[in-house]
Amino acid sequence: MNILHSELLIAKHLRHSVFKNTAVFIITLFIGILLLYATFSGWENYKSQNETSEKYQHESREDWLKNPDKNPHRMAHYGNFAFRKSTPLSVFEFGMEPFFGNAIFLEAHKQNTANFSEAGFSNSMLRFGEISIALVLQVLLPLLIFFLGFNSIAYERENGTLKILLTQGINWKQLLIGKTLGIASVIMMLFVPAIVILIFVWLLLQDFSITADQTFKMILFVLFHLVYLLFFCVIAVLVSAISKTSKKALITLIGIWLLFTIILPRTTQAIGAYIYEAPSKIQFTSDIEKDILKQGDSHNPNDPHYKAIKDSLLSAYKVDSVQKLPFNYSGFIMTEGEKISSRIYNEHLAELLQVYKKQNSFSKTVSFLNPYIAMKNLSMGLSNTDYESYVDFQQQAEDYRYMMAQKMNALQIKYISNKKPSAGDKPYSISKEHWADVEDFHYEPKKIGTVLENEIISIISIFLWITLLFILIRIAAQKLKAI
Amino acid sequence: MLSLIFKNFIRSKGTKIGLLFLLCIGFISLLIGKQFQDKQIHTIEQARVYQKEHIARNAAFHKDEIGLLLYYIKFSLVNKTLPINSLAIGQRDVNPSIQNVTIRGLEGQKYDAELNNPNNLLAGNIDFSFVLIYLFPLLIIAFSYNLISEEKESGTWKIVATQSQNTFFYILKLFYVRILSLIALLSILLFIAVLFLNIPFDTSLFVFYGLGILYILFWFAVCFFIVSLQKHSNFNAVILLTIWLFLIIIVPAGINAYIVTKYKVPEALELTLKQRNAYHEKWDTDKNETMEKFYKHYPQFRTYKIPADKEFTWLWYYAMQQMGDDESAVQSRELESKLQQRNLASQSIAQFIPTLHTQLQLNEIAHADLGNQLLFLKETSKFHEKLRLYFYPKIFDNAPVNAENWEKFKVETFSDNTKISFAKAFVPLLLFNLLLIGFGWFNFTRKTV
Repeated sequence: MNILHSELLIAKHLRHSVFKNTAVFIITLFIGILLLYATFSGWENYKSQNETSEKYQHESREDWLKNPDKNPHRMAHYGNFAFRKSTPLSVFEFGMEPFFGNAIFLEAHKQNTANFSEAGFSNSMLRFGEISIALVLQVLLPLLIFFLGFNSIAYERENGTLKILLTQGINWKQLLIGKTLGIASVIMMLFVPAIVILIFVWLLLQDFSITADQTFKMILFVLFHLVYLLFFCVIAVLVSAISKTSKKALITLIGIWLLFTIILPRTTQAIGAYIYEAPSKIQFTSDIEKDILKQGDSHNPNDPHYKAIKDSLLSAYKVDSVQKLPFNYSGFIMTEGEKISSRIYNEHLAELLQVYKKQNSFSKTVSFLNPYIAMKNLSMGLSNTDYESYVDFQQQAEDYRYMMAQKMNALQIKYISNKKPSAGDKPYSISKEHWADVEDFHYEPKKIGTVLENEIISIISIFLWITLLFILIRIAAQKLKAI
Repeated sequence: MLSLIFKNFIRSKGTKIGLLFLLCIGFISLLIGKQFQDKQIHTIEQARVYQKEHIARNAAFHKDEIGLLLYYIKFSLVNKTLPINSLAIGQRDVNPSIQNVTIRGLEGQKYDAELNNPNNLLAGNIDFSFVLIYLFPLLIIAFSYNLISEEKESGTWKIVATQSQNTFFYILKLFYVRILSLIALLSILLFIAVLFLNIPFDTSLFVFYGLGILYILFWFAVCFFIVSLQKHSNFNAVILLTIWLFLIIIVPAGINAYIVTKYKVPEALELTLKQRNAYHEKWDTDKNETMEKFYKHYPQFRTYKIPADKEFTWLWYYAMQQMGDDESAVQSRELESKLQQRNLASQSIAQFIPTLHTQLQLNEIAHADLGNQLLFLKETSKFHEKLRLYFYPKIFDNAPVNAENWEKFKVETFSDNTKISFAKAFVPLLLFNLLLIGFGWFNFTRKTV
């Protein structure tokens, strides 16, 4: 306690003077209200998103099971849906969620897009941003910190009180740390209650039955935000200390804030998108179609690829026509077709995702220069609302689609007769009991290990920034002058 | 006097850097707009080639059964992109500008999304409207937050006050110089844009320019009002940045949250499930029932009957597909009206928020707003219906495939003919400007400077 005595005294003094200023008091109060509103709207969002997605996932499953006896290939066309579900942390960090499609229709032969994103149903208002806890913590609180901190040392210098402080036996290091703690203690008055409410809401959302994975994500979410805010406190004090006047300090800090939170995130992403142009949908689908045709068309009886399969089957089973094969021939061909078209689709998708990855690489690299991007990426990763989560969701949906289509093909091979029914006959069908063999789609969010692995750059960046600030405090403490 | 004020303003290093920065980023926004334009043009060109090849290939392949052929082939409808769209990309990056549809059930195809990197969408475009709406105000604030207050703080104000007959005039001149330089910057950028992006000189451009000028004046009016309070520079800076933050992020985001919760759209998912079931269940229900419903919708096709001895006919198949649309029509209409409500609500609220208003208006001019998207969806339905009505009798008659001239099915284009309303675009901003200038004036005359 004794060691930090002077620092705490300085901190206390700063806190008192801050609350004498009514403007600051109003802004702080206002941000408090905003935090509550953000929690509420996040909660509302999460609940309606998950309720709707659960409701329709369930309904679509019921519909699937209710289908009467029929040909399995018709079931493959009947298809299934993958609805995206949010994780509890997404209440606080919406991330890219509004831009994700929420439903994918999964059917045989065809990879559909994820449709019905919030952004598609919105006027451009959404593009201004969304009010979430993350916005308050990552964008607004740093600005508040700068508003609180620009005066901290520069004003004392302007007033001449800085000289008095320093002659009274306080050294620069104590002063810098004291002022930082002072600002931090004001911010904690917002941060701590916010976190308490956050944890409570988070527990409530999961009915108090939490998993280790979610808990770990929550702890990291809180800790990293704490570090992130502290480090804006340090920046504010350092800039104030090196500025001749408080006005200069204020302008510099506002510049830093604008650069970090508004200018850089947009610019770096735009540069990436400009340099690495992604193909349009029509190009993407027509490329796939061309490649599939190159491989062979399963609908064309004379196609060399499928003719070779046919001939080898005929000779292996020593029969002269496909109708005499002991299993359903068209089911067999469709299995092959699905295999080929899925492979080709996945290859093209991988190429497309590679382009996206390159587009994103700029802003990822810039997170070394910009703690905001590092923090944003990390918190989106933890709340499962980042780019990787989206790719992951689509991948899981595609795996499910493939599994479903091939299972239906397998049923056809096994149970459907090879002879074409004559004109007036009922079409062949199999018992509806088989429908339950295909399990319901279940989306599994990424585990904490994967998240940390994906966001390793952000984590390194945050640690580098912390080290840098410690070094800067050291240097500043030695070099700063009172005048 | 005025020329001295101008020299003094333009000679400052901060001014030069600020103007140069905005010019550069403005130019970058035009490059991005150009890339967007090229991509749009290229995509449409590709769609043309693709449709031609696609139809020819399929027609050669399924030459015996027109019903089967039309199961496969897709027809494209393009939402016309105006050159001015490159200045305000709006929602055109989220929503597809081309619809590809077969004549089967429409509801399952209508809402297919565009391929997108969500990271780009989240970050947003650096189009010209971004530069205008986000960055111009920052420079305006930087140029005007310390007018008078700076001179007061450094003690030079008294000299100015004694040397000019009317200090209020002097203040106006200070603003005049700044306003002129930023409007000049806007004009230069737009002029380059016109040449570079081939934007025609028409009402759209005129309204765009007018909105730009009024928006710049709005921010000067805000600064004028704050300066008129005659507080400390630091106070001005903090308060102006807070206003900016409010108008740019907090208020729009708050309104968005309100609209999203007020007009929820569960109909979207309801609709997809409904159209899937409505079509598929027809495979297992009485054929005559399905046909009866179909005849009711299209009495002109009642003469086509399904033969009793055949299990499958294309007549029956397309009747089933039709049922997917017909039986989900309620949900489809509800979804459309919800989206319409969202659009109207956001437009009427936006009138009170200049930033939002300007953005929505620019997008509307550029045909890149939700309203345009809704019209495009409507047009897609019409386009689809036209194709259906054309092909249905041919399919039911099993008309020979090669009797049809497939070359004539070209990509079609939808152009949005919504009229631009000057009053709707300009009046809200004008009122705000007058109000703020009026209050500022009042403050200045009350406190003699």
